Amino acid sequence: MPLALVVAVLASGPALYNNLAFLTTLAIYILLAQGVNVVYGFTGYLPFGYVGFFGAGIYGSSLAITYWHVGGYAAIGLGAATSIIAGLILSPLLRLSGAYFALATLAASQALYFIVANESWTFGESGMSLPLLFSPTALYAISVVAVALTLIVILLVRDSHFGLSLRAIRSDPVSAAMAGVNVVRTRTLAWLLSAALAGVAGALWAMMTSAFYAETPFDLTISVYAIVFALFGGVRTVIGPVLGTIVLYSLYQYIGISNPQYFELIYGLLIVLLVLFLPGGLTSLVGGRGDRPAWWNWVLRRRSAHGDLTPEGRSS
Amino acid sequence: MRRVIFKTYRRLALVGALVASGLAVAALPGAASAGASGGVITVGTLYANTGSFATSSMPEYAGLQFWVKQVNAAGGMYVAPLKKKEQVKLVSFNDQSDPATATTLYNQLLTQNKVNVFVADFGSVLTAPAVTIAKDQKHLLFDITGSGTSFFSSGPNPYVVLTSLPVSAVWPKPVVGLLSSLKIKRVAILYCQNDFDQAQAAAIQGFLSKEGLKPVYFQGVPTTQSDYSTIVQAIKGTNPQAVLEFGYPNNDIAFLNQLKSTNTHFNFVLTPFPGQLPTLFQQDVGAKALDWGYTYAVPPILKINQVNIGLGLNQFLAKFAPGKESSVNFLNVAGYNAGLAIQAAFAHATSMSQLGIRAGLTAVNGKLQTLEGTFALNKAGAQVGELLPVSQMVPAGSGFAYKIVYPATPAQKAMVNATAKYPAPKA
Amino acid sequence: MRLFEYALISGVLYGLFYGFIGVGLNLLFGVMRLVNLAHGDLVVWGGYLAYSLTTSAHVNPLWAIPISIPLALVAGFLLYVLTVPRLRRSPDTETSSLILFFGVSQVLEALATMKYGTNQVTLPELGNPVTIFGQQYAASLVASAALAVPALALFYLYLYRTRLGLATRAVMANEEEATASGVRIRLVATSAFMIGLAFAAAAGPLATFMLGGINPTTGGGLTITAFTIIIIGSLGNPAGTAAGGVLYGLASSLTQAYATAWTGMVPYALLLVVVLVRPSGLFGRRVRVA
Repeated sequence: MPLALVVAVLASGPALYNNLAFLTTLAIYILLAQGVNVVYGFTGYLPFGYVGFFGAGIYGSSLAITYWHVGGYAAIGLGAATSIIAGLILSPLLRLSGAYFALATLAASQALYFIVANESWTFGESGMSLPLLFSPTALYAISVVAVALTLIVILLVRDSHFGLSLRAIRSDPVSAAMAGVNVVRTRTLAWLLSAALAGVAGALWAMMTSAFYAETPFDLTISVYAIVFALFGGVRTVIGPVLGTIVLYSLYQYIGISNPQYFELIYGLLIVLLVLFLPGGLTSLVGGRGDRPAWWNWVLRRRSAHGDLTPEGRSS
Repeated sequence: MRRVIFKTYRRLALVGALVASGLAVAALPGAASAGASGGVITVGTLYANTGSFATSSMPEYAGLQFWVKQVNAAGGMYVAPLKKKEQVKLVSFNDQSDPATATTLYNQLLTQNKVNVFVADFGSVLTAPAVTIAKDQKHLLFDITGSGTSFFSSGPNPYVVLTSLPVSAVWPKPVVGLLSSLKIKRVAILYCQNDFDQAQAAAIQGFLSKEGLKPVYFQGVPTTQSDYSTIVQAIKGTNPQAVLEFGYPNNDIAFLNQLKSTNTHFNFVLTPFPGQLPTLFQQDVGAKALDWGYTYAVPPILKINQVNIGLGLNQFLAKFAPGKESSVNFLNVAGYNAGLAIQAAFAHATSMSQLGIRAGLTAVNGKLQTLEGTFALNKAGAQVGELLPVSQMVPAGSGFAYKIVYPATPAQKAMVNATAKYPAPKA
Repeated sequence: MRLFEYALISGVLYGLFYGFIGVGLNLLFGVMRLVNLAHGDLVVWGGYLAYSLTTSAHVNPLWAIPISIPLALVAGFLLYVLTVPRLRRSPDTETSSLILFFGVSQVLEALATMKYGTNQVTLPELGNPVTIFGQQYAASLVASAALAVPALALFYLYLYRTRLGLATRAVMANEEEATASGVRIRLVATSAFMIGLAFAAAAGPLATFMLGGINPTTGGGLTITAFTIIIIGSLGNPAGTAAGGVLYGLASSLTQAYATAWTGMVPYALLLVVVLVRPSGLFGRRVRVA
């Protein structure tokens, strides 16, 4: 149901606001926010350098198009594959936790940037220039399909044994391991799934932009936006990151085209206020799953010690 | 179960409302300002008032705004297919130096604001997304300073027009001429790893190898480099007769300051930006450290007053910043010059279609004389006319003056007003 | 050989300065696990203060150091009161703080752009170059290293010779045990926050010299460098921070000399190697990992 709604909203996008570059970028950010959701929402690891996977997907697909002349769909697959390989190489980082993990992924993404920017076979200095493989309309349609498939995957993950293991690990890795969950493998799978999402997003972005320099794909603000969008909507839900992206990125575009003088200031303050006053995201306001609103937690704590054992509901 | 479903629907309704309002809000300004008809020609552009390109983007934008003011004050711009003058309206958005944002905003200009033609933001990085959109949607783009090689290497393309700078690879030709006229054999080249600087470094390396020379030092550094201490020492170790540093303004500043603070003296130092941003370099590096250095001579150093469109340089200076002529920099001129190219295109357009407007430029190709020189495009749309001579910064009073020491074209020989002082005297 | 010698000496001098940059962050991250992504922007604001002083009052830019300290203490107190107590209630303080301080960093950048514009800003050089073993080093480089040493020493005295410092180290090692043994966490945290910010702002004028000038976007890269240094040098260890800085400085100047194209990668590669091989840093006893 929510899936159909999201697809319906995205499909009707061009009728409301016919800027396909904006709508495709919106779909790309939904994929990225869901990727953050998988790795942060379900495992508690904050991938601050998530943009590294996005960049890997961009360069994997672009180089395949340039050197092997592959078609658009193959490029998407190869973009995802490149990001998964990058994820495998970086999987030792999962040994770290908290800020160490966040900063290590950031370092990894920037190291990747310097490799790409330095090498001539990646067109690091001269810039990438791709042929047009899809019309803007076709590319947007593909992006909407990618979002739909992603949501199905996330739903399946959430409700599967795999999702249950992820949640168990998130709340307490030690007990999860004792209960027979393979902690390392489960975490790594979630990590690779989120890498693949960024890879697909990257391939779509590469085909949309087609001419770009290395600093754009590896720009850290892309990570930050994906994280902020996911958190604003509410992680550990399926709809949260979608909602967060649609609301905040539309707002971003709106502020952008209404041309205020203090754009950066407004956006910075918004982030600060968001962290301080809406840590559970939008879905927590509506009484969503996962993080309950702070006041409700307080009520629960007051009423009984069993408050936290309320069974998790479905939908959203 | 029913309660769960009910709650779901309530939540979805709210989500739907939020989404709809988000999109409606985003769509508003587009709807409000749509349409290019109604007796105005709309020109769309982006600028960056924050971020790493703001320093260059804002003066360029100011130049374009000045052009709009000028034509409108003169009763509008002549549009040949309509056989009358039309007012010009500038629609502009702030991309904050972010190319991803620029992509959606360029598209906004075309799909929502339906501008007649659009103008790219400063530099290759912010121009790249516009080039894609121009080619995809077959819409005419005036690219002021995005001189990236890849934009103009994929064959004939009528939709992109480079108005101000020749492609990066053409720039350094007179530098090599000057080096060989001074009989300099040992050349050290340090460049930043971006399209603009790398293309210049590679071009010089190519020219030198034709003369059988190899640079004694040839290294790239990241464009974010700010610490040049050991690099300068390494260059000094190769004992060069000339040092060419190709960077962006902040790199040039850091490099020149490093030379100053360690009293390192080279006989010949060339950096690209002191000619473009004299005030900034005077403030951040100081006249003393710039003395006897070399840079490309761009307007307003290059004073071109014989024009057949728009203002000559002296008039431009007087009108653009009355009483503060010295604060005018090259990017102001470049923004204005892009406006002149638009003006020429419409004045000779064969129809109001995109190709009809482009045909207007073809008609005057190589004949247009602006305050930047001869406007000439090749088939790919790259600028091949406005070549830049080399100038030397010579002490004058408490500051310095730019003297043109080597021409880029035979026509510029008349502009040469000094011979290069080599080796540079020690302070 | 001369080049190698130059790279070594300038690497050490730069490194001491980088150690200075790391000190303030070390306190915030070590004590409260606050990932202060605005650290570099605070340093840059210290630099802007020095710029304002030299352009308006024409005094030596180093005067900005004593002036910035009380200002930073006050700003630190306000920022602490406004944000940290709320942050500490969040289930994942570390992550929340990272995002919060990213927002703060955007705000600081925006304010800097409004006040100082986007152009690069530099400070007048402090004096004639200093000759060491026959080679010339910028006066500002030598001065920065010379000022970093007492700053690092002060940091050491604070942590090891004051009651508050003792409590701070107890909290760094284990917050729960420290609370149980009667340490006043809030006092420790507030003072660590204020002092951390003061160190950051005080490093600002030096950073303006060392980075060849500052602009509103300079802070981001500086923050990452500072994190690299404190993670290399281990949390809560002043000598480690100094050593981490020197290691970073040497790596940076040696790549400048022998692998110029890769200088940008140095901090990131170093950080990755250190966290993977020895997450507790090169000079630390223990740190919480997975």
